[in-house]
Amino acid sequence: MTHERHIMGIFQDEDQVVTTVQDLKASPYRFERVNMPIPSHKIMNALNLKKSRVGWFTLCGGIIGFLSGFALAIFTATRWDLIVSGKPIVAIIPFVVVGFEATILFAVFGNVIGLLTQTRLPSSSWLTHYDPRCSGEHFGVLASCALEQLEELKDFFRERGAELKEFNYRPKP
Amino acid sequence: MSRLTYAKIDQTILDTLTPPPRHYWWIVGLLFMGAMVGAACWTYQIFVGIGVGGQNNPVAWGTYLINFVFWVGIAHSGTLISAILHLFRAGWRNPIARAAETMTVFAVCIAGLFPFIHLGRVWQVYYMLPIPTQRLLWPNFLSPLMFDVIAISTYLTVSSLFWYTGMLPDLAAIRDRTTGTRHKIFAVISLGWSGAHEQWRHYTRGYLFFAALATPLVISVHSVVSWDFALGIVPGWHTTIFAPYFVAGAIHSGLAMVLTLMIPLRKLFHYEDIITINVLQNVAKTIVFTGLIVGLAYATEFFIAWYSHNAVEMEQFRWRLFGDYRWGFYFMVLCNTMAPLLFLFKKIRTSIVPLLIISLVVNFGMWWERFVIIVGGVAHGFAPHAWGLYAPSLIEYGIMFGTFCLFFFLFMLFAKHLPSVSMTEMKETVEKGIADHDA
Amino acid sequence: MKRRTFLKVAAMGSLSFVSACSPDSEKKLFSLVTAPEDMVTGSATWYASTCRECPAGCGVLAKNREGRIVKLEGNPLHPVNQGRLCMRGQAALQGIYNPDRLKTPLIKDNGQWRPISFEAAITLLKAKAVTTARKGPDRVRMMTETVGASLMGLFTDSLQSLNSQPPVVFETFAYESLKTANAMVFGVEGLASYHMDRADVLVSFGADFLETWLSPVEYARKFKSMHAIQGNRKNRFYYISPCQALTGANADHWLACKPDSENVIVLGLVKEALDKGKGPDLPATLREFLKATTASYSREIVIDRSGIALQTYNRLIDNLMGARSPLVLGTASVGSGKNDLKTHLAVNLLNLLLDPELRLLDFNDRHRVETAAKRSDIYRFFDSLNAGETDMLLLNNVNPVFNLPAGSRAKEALEKKNLFVVCFSNFMDETAAAADLILPVKLPLESWDEYGAKSSLVSTLQPAMGRLSEAPHLGDIMLKTGLGNKAPAGNYKDYLIASISANSGISDEVQWMQMLQQGGQFDREVAQATRAKMPRVVDLADTLIPPPTPPKTDLTFMALPSIRFFDGRGANKPWLAEIPDPLTRIAWQSPVLMHPATAAAQGFAQEEVVAIQSGFGSIEAPVYVTPLVVPGVLAMSIGQGHRFYGRYAAKTGSNPLQLLSANTNSLSGSTNFCITALTVKKTGQTQKLASTSGSRTQHGRTLALSVSLADLQQNRLPPRDGLTMGNFPLTLPLPEGYDPQRDVFPPHDHDTYRWGMVVDLDKCIGCGACSAACYAENNIGVVGEARILEGREMNWISIERYHDPEAMEKISFLPMMCQHCDNAPCESVCPVYAPHHSKEGLNNQIYNRCIGTRYCVQNCPYKVRRFNWFTWEWPEPMNLQLNPDVTVRSKGVMEKCSFCIQRIKAAHNLAKNEKRLIQDGDVIPACVQTCPTGALVFGSLMDKQSRVRKLVDDPRAYQALGYVNTKPAVIYLKKVVQEI
Repeated sequence: MTHERHIMGIFQDEDQVVTTVQDLKASPYRFERVNMPIPSHKIMNALNLKKSRVGWFTLCGGIIGFLSGFALAIFTATRWDLIVSGKPIVAIIPFVVVGFEATILFAVFGNVIGLLTQTRLPSSSWLTHYDPRCSGEHFGVLASCALEQLEELKDFFRERGAELKEFNYRPKP
Repeated sequence: MSRLTYAKIDQTILDTLTPPPRHYWWIVGLLFMGAMVGAACWTYQIFVGIGVGGQNNPVAWGTYLINFVFWVGIAHSGTLISAILHLFRAGWRNPIARAAETMTVFAVCIAGLFPFIHLGRVWQVYYMLPIPTQRLLWPNFLSPLMFDVIAISTYLTVSSLFWYTGMLPDLAAIRDRTTGTRHKIFAVISLGWSGAHEQWRHYTRGYLFFAALATPLVISVHSVVSWDFALGIVPGWHTTIFAPYFVAGAIHSGLAMVLTLMIPLRKLFHYEDIITINVLQNVAKTIVFTGLIVGLAYATEFFIAWYSHNAVEMEQFRWRLFGDYRWGFYFMVLCNTMAPLLFLFKKIRTSIVPLLIISLVVNFGMWWERFVIIVGGVAHGFAPHAWGLYAPSLIEYGIMFGTFCLFFFLFMLFAKHLPSVSMTEMKETVEKGIADHDA
Repeated sequence: MKRRTFLKVAAMGSLSFVSACSPDSEKKLFSLVTAPEDMVTGSATWYASTCRECPAGCGVLAKNREGRIVKLEGNPLHPVNQGRLCMRGQAALQGIYNPDRLKTPLIKDNGQWRPISFEAAITLLKAKAVTTARKGPDRVRMMTETVGASLMGLFTDSLQSLNSQPPVVFETFAYESLKTANAMVFGVEGLASYHMDRADVLVSFGADFLETWLSPVEYARKFKSMHAIQGNRKNRFYYISPCQALTGANADHWLACKPDSENVIVLGLVKEALDKGKGPDLPATLREFLKATTASYSREIVIDRSGIALQTYNRLIDNLMGARSPLVLGTASVGSGKNDLKTHLAVNLLNLLLDPELRLLDFNDRHRVETAAKRSDIYRFFDSLNAGETDMLLLNNVNPVFNLPAGSRAKEALEKKNLFVVCFSNFMDETAAAADLILPVKLPLESWDEYGAKSSLVSTLQPAMGRLSEAPHLGDIMLKTGLGNKAPAGNYKDYLIASISANSGISDEVQWMQMLQQGGQFDREVAQATRAKMPRVVDLADTLIPPPTPPKTDLTFMALPSIRFFDGRGANKPWLAEIPDPLTRIAWQSPVLMHPATAAAQGFAQEEVVAIQSGFGSIEAPVYVTPLVVPGVLAMSIGQGHRFYGRYAAKTGSNPLQLLSANTNSLSGSTNFCITALTVKKTGQTQKLASTSGSRTQHGRTLALSVSLADLQQNRLPPRDGLTMGNFPLTLPLPEGYDPQRDVFPPHDHDTYRWGMVVDLDKCIGCGACSAACYAENNIGVVGEARILEGREMNWISIERYHDPEAMEKISFLPMMCQHCDNAPCESVCPVYAPHHSKEGLNNQIYNRCIGTRYCVQNCPYKVRRFNWFTWEWPEPMNLQLNPDVTVRSKGVMEKCSFCIQRIKAAHNLAKNEKRLIQDGDVIPACVQTCPTGALVFGSLMDKQSRVRKLVDDPRAYQALGYVNTKPAVIYLKKVVQEI
């Protein structure tokens, strides 16, 4: 059976959202997502989400940075082997600074890439079935169901004190 | 005092983004002209030669590097507030984090200008970039100045990304509450953020790492800046204390600048409920702390000079106290260590005017600290036959004026076109109920 | 490759190049179709000539590159200077290339200068001379500087044919008293040369033989060969004068006597000598006379009149009387004042008493400057002009209007309506400005000539460069004007050769060429001077008998001869103005020196501009407070304060000669360069002094060190085993200089050579010749007064002077240049490797890599790096002097001493071509080459046999600020001081 109708319940109060989400999970309707103006901990916990994998990107970035920092310093120093201030050509101690800064820089790059890939941004797809109020003071719970269940779903939300936001049907390509 | 609601937060902040009045544009225009004055002076210097400045032998570094260090210092508290205090979960940082971060980004830009202005042959500046050319010549990574290049550019990149990432949800919020062109623009720059729990899941994690990375970075960057001097053998520069000393100094001046910017902003944008007096108070307390740290550093330098029994060091510090630049030294001690102690009085740290005045005093003092260190060291170095003095020239003043104008020009633009307080973080504060203001 | 084939290939190359280029190319390539056989593009040709910057007449070698002189160096074969040159000699080039040099003759009609052609000028001159000569005797007169015998002969002949007497030789410093004293005591009216090098006790009563006196370069050398430490011995030198000056700064002891009281001391010494029974063989009459006259000169009187300390006077007596070969010298080029003659007489008598054979005086080998006329005759000459006894005056390279006091009425004379003044000058100086016709002539380095600085030699001049102007040689003009068709030779060159072959026994072309090549003939046998047996008492009586006058109490002003400008003729040469005065370290200005006590008494402060008024004129000058003059004396160097004389001379400093009187001594005809009865008052203004020195004392740092002779002899030298400034060991810039105890990093090796320099502070006299040579060799920018006030001087080597904080009148000099450290602090801080360590140990500075962060100079403990704050200018044709082997730096780059790397490279090529290693002494940097006393030695420290390496073992060896552990490659040898 296809879930082609989307309804969003708009709530003011986080606790309502929490209960709704739990009920919704138990219900036949499909829970799509919650849109919220802040990373509400109550809700996030209620959804018991997996840990994000952004950190792995960050780590890789960091390692690459650390290596490339030292590599750059050592490579350039050994091109001409110029002695300065009687210091060795490959002077590790000063190169630590280069290595360190590169580590941070690349780690941050990794982090950003992680963020974008994980959150699948930039894209407009997130804004289908979205209500602007959700970036203000409201929380929107989006659920979908088959055409025949539509009314039941509306009642489901109404019972839990939500304003309804209905999205007109767009058949999937 | 009314309790904050999400709606109120949104409203207060969105009100600041209403189309600005005419006089706003006058001010922005004037600031732009000011920046142009600086640009003109620099152009003249490029064509005639660096000699139009006041630098000489022995004092080959003048206001250009003083201002460089000054602005890098300013830049630091932004990251400190948004990153370190974020890790410490200090709620009072939320109302000022955004403005502080913005200050950071702009201050780093300004600071980044000065090494260019300082160069004798700025048109050859690309020699400092590790780019493979047909000459196969590379920069010298043993040089503190190369550390600088890397550190400052890293810092600029990271702080900008951090700033932007933090602003993403707010951009979306603005997108949802505007129409027409502004709506289109914000639709683009908010990258389609919708606040779906999936996004938040990664976002919160990513933001945490950002903070975790920015913290060591901010420490390292100003340490590196301090090594520009500490790695030189010049008496008055060549001390191991410099890294912590400079970092503390940077935070000190940065916090002062935060106050200097926040207090007018608070007034103009009616942020009283958001940036409460309690927030300012916390900043003031931190300033007392950092002020004492730099005070300790000043004292330590003298102690070590005496303890070392090194004729050159001792003469350098005797001269710092009684020599030609003693006024600079007195300024820095009074303004940076003594003046902030007034914040120990609750009455002072909770009333706006004194806060503003003292913050300005500290900024002034921190500029003189850099003067005393940078000019004082080389002016009275190893070789008595080469001792000499330095005074900035008109051109240098012009450039200094220009860069200050540029900074405020940028900040003015930001304040009126982007959310100068983070709505999202404010809402979090409200949610956690931490924002129970000075009850 | 043979030269022929090379030319063929080159020709083909250029052809293909031409065909490849677009025909209307902006850049044109010129190639010499037939080059002069002695000119090879890219390699220098050296021409032997003679320096004519002062009458000393040192031999020079002019380095010619592509047809222009780029550098002067001393001629090693020349006995006077033996390859060395002073500051003024080095700067001679800036006369030739001076931007204010006149290119065409100028004639003055109704007060306006109008350029005319050389032909027109000479025709006019000739016509005028002939017609004037017809009017009667002495209607055409000439005044000239000291010139060679041949030119003098020509002058005489042509003036004779113009029905006039020989020219008057004008020198500002004409040594009248000395000549007269020599005549009275030794029966020779001339200037003996002194074998200073053989003396063991030298006493000078002001004779500034290191600055201007007779022959500075020669006597600097001889002085140091006598005074520098040899083994454990060091001879003694006393300097007795109211002003210390550079010569006094090099004395073991400066006896600061009251102005013009030298004679008292000398006569006192004569008394002591007689009491000690010196000169027993002298005729009794003389001894009696002297006993009688000097009877009143008891030690008490001497002390009282001269103001010197009794102990030092006693020690002076003991030293002098105990000396094996003592030598006493008279007063400075400018004399001592009223009693100048008395002093000189006494000095001569003292020499006679101490050493009756006068072994150290050589009356056969005399200084040519003795031909200069007495000042009294000069004044008489101008009186005659003023009296209208002459209608035409020829002036050869003299500037009486500047050099004579107003009382001489020289200016009035020249400006007389009915006197036609022809000035053979290349510059619009004060005298030229007052002339009617200015006719530029070739300068010495452009001309054929001859000059015998001393009787025993003749030194040749030859054109050492292409012509810059059409200016003819003065000799040719005189031949035409004076002798016309009766001329013995068609041009001056032939005349010269004829006269030389007549006087020097040159018989053929070959000998002539040899003579030219070695720069002259240095072994002429000279007629024995006929010396009077003994001085006649009657001559001496008038001068010696008057008892010593009680010391003056009022202020005395003294005009001092200048090592930089001589008598003012050097003032238009920017190097001389830019290189600061050795003692005050002030450039471009002429401050008035006064003792702190005087300043306090008068209420004057440093840099305050005071107006000094004498009965004869007045000047304004800033005050420089210094202990190097006695209280009650105001002293100022002669040379600046020109009203004309080009952009570098005009309106800088002030001219002390304006204060002086035009009176002369009746006996000697000498003038007085001191003046009393002054009014000195504040003007209210202050003038910032363009000083290049930060602090006068070295604040206990190991920069300019000295060791006492006693300590050296008994080997009481401080231990060198610690890590503090005081006891840090000598750390050579070689692997052996490294020690894990001190050094974090391991040593690094060098490739065959490790260049280094040894500077012997015991030999350095602080004359600054090295600095001038460096400016010439390395194209160093001249920045001018304003920039020096901003602290932006560019000198690569500067002679820093340090006062001894215990006794401020004691000075030591420290030549400071890049130390080419093994652990150079400047290198690692540069982000782009612009400074780095070369494989031969040099501290390279790569100009076109430098981006101008200026960290290197910040981090240099010696502050020897120089930054190009602007692009410095070489106004045309100064640029022709630039050394083609050295880059001209533009704005925004750092520069510094390179140890003359271009010369090192040249030595490398030579050695390579000859398939050998560079020998010790192959590489001679410009400063080392010119140092008159050989205080600088250069070589490879890796070569165990090299002189530098040997000198490093000297117990006096140390490194400036060695404890910073930069391991400098410049090793200093401590100055040796001795308690008198």
